[in-house]
Amino acid sequence: MTDTQPTGTQPTGTLLERRNPTVKVALLCAVSLTTLFLFDLSVLAWLWGLGVVGALATTRLGARRLVLAHAPFVAFGVGLVAVNAVTRPGPALVTVLGMDVTRAGLAVGAALALRALLIGVVTVAFLASTPPRELMVSLTRHARLSPRYAYALLAAHRMLTAMPRRWATIRAAQAVRGSGPALPEAGRAVVTLLVGAIRGAERTALALESRGLGSGPRSVWHVVPLTWADGVFAVVVTGVAGAVLAFA
Amino acid sequence: MSTELGRRAPRLALKDVVLMVTLGVVFGFLYWVFVQAWNGLAVLMGPAGDLAQHVLLGAWLLAAPVAVAVIRRPLVGVIAEVIAAVVEVFFLGSPVGPLLLVAAALQGIGSELPFALGRYRHFGWARYAASGAAGAALVFVFTAFRDAWWGTDLLTVRLLVQVASGVVLGGLLAKVLVDALARTGAVDGFAIGRAQGVIPGRYERRVR
Repeated sequence: MTDTQPTGTQPTGTLLERRNPTVKVALLCAVSLTTLFLFDLSVLAWLWGLGVVGALATTRLGARRLVLAHAPFVAFGVGLVAVNAVTRPGPALVTVLGMDVTRAGLAVGAALALRALLIGVVTVAFLASTPPRELMVSLTRHARLSPRYAYALLAAHRMLTAMPRRWATIRAAQAVRGSGPALPEAGRAVVTLLVGAIRGAERTALALESRGLGSGPRSVWHVVPLTWADGVFAVVVTGVAGAVLAFA
Repeated sequence: MSTELGRRAPRLALKDVVLMVTLGVVFGFLYWVFVQAWNGLAVLMGPAGDLAQHVLLGAWLLAAPVAVAVIRRPLVGVIAEVIAAVVEVFFLGSPVGPLLLVAAALQGIGSELPFALGRYRHFGWARYAASGAAGAALVFVFTAFRDAWWGTDLLTVRLLVQVASGVVLGGLLAKVLVDALARTGAVDGFAIGRAQGVIPGRYERRVR
């Protein structure tokens, strides 16, 4: 799990921590959607570079944590380059292990890899600046997400944070009993994890119902604001991205 | 007005909503763990890693059939898959980004379709296999567009491998998983338990 969860928010946080989570979700979706149509390496490289600078300037992520957080996205990108280089038609640049590496294949693979890096850096910045509670409160107020789903998701998120530890405990218990073949044992561990989660869900539903969730309009204690600064932020980000698309 | 309200399908009980969300979160976590293994595989196997990854694709289809089989209400599978994607994208981080939500919705629609055609009353092996095949086929079209697979040498091979994986891992394995959960008694309080005539809370000795 990427260790990028912020410790708190937020009026006094960094620039990105102070921004409204719904606005950040919308921008993240816009970036992801735009990259779907991008295969120009220089544009993607510029956007990724700006994403890195933006993440360093507006979050508490240092260079080291940002590099580490890139690891899964780099691995994903290496796979994309490797397979696309040898499966795209075109004149061969070089032959490796009997497979033709084509220029078109390398270009598409590199573009897809850069796309993954760009989405990765934006996602990491989002995760580092957005506590789940603020995200859910904002989505219920500004994106009209049903509180029944939002609070259930928040409760389940608490389970999520404990899940790696639960998984390790189950696997350790299996090891103590003397484990059999790895795959069936992992399957049993999944069933155990699910059973624990389902029983937890029943208890959570009872607790939420006893607190009147879904019985009428709700108020929240710490309101997540949506201000003119969020509008300026959205305009600046889309403006900069638009300028790169136009001129790079 | 009152007639319209009367016709509207009753909304999901909070217990079902929480279970659906929980299944989405658990599978979101398991999918994320799978992605790390998937990435490792791609780096280790080089160009062959991509096809090897397709073999595992069906595992990403598990949330929908499990949620549908336990709760047995329309759209439960689609929502569970989308929630799993939300967890991957917004809580854990995914290289695919928010477009994963579109892929998840397509997976959910494909996986739920065979159960919807059976009006959520039939849960045999063939139905699960069809669920896995439909889920894999539907998401294949989207992935082929996103990753520009059209016109490449391996398009047909990718489709066949992904559908086969969907049938085995996303369909038949889901049936095995649902049966295993039912045997534990953890889902007795839900529609699956009621369909099997189980009285929730009543102690029954279970013989393996």
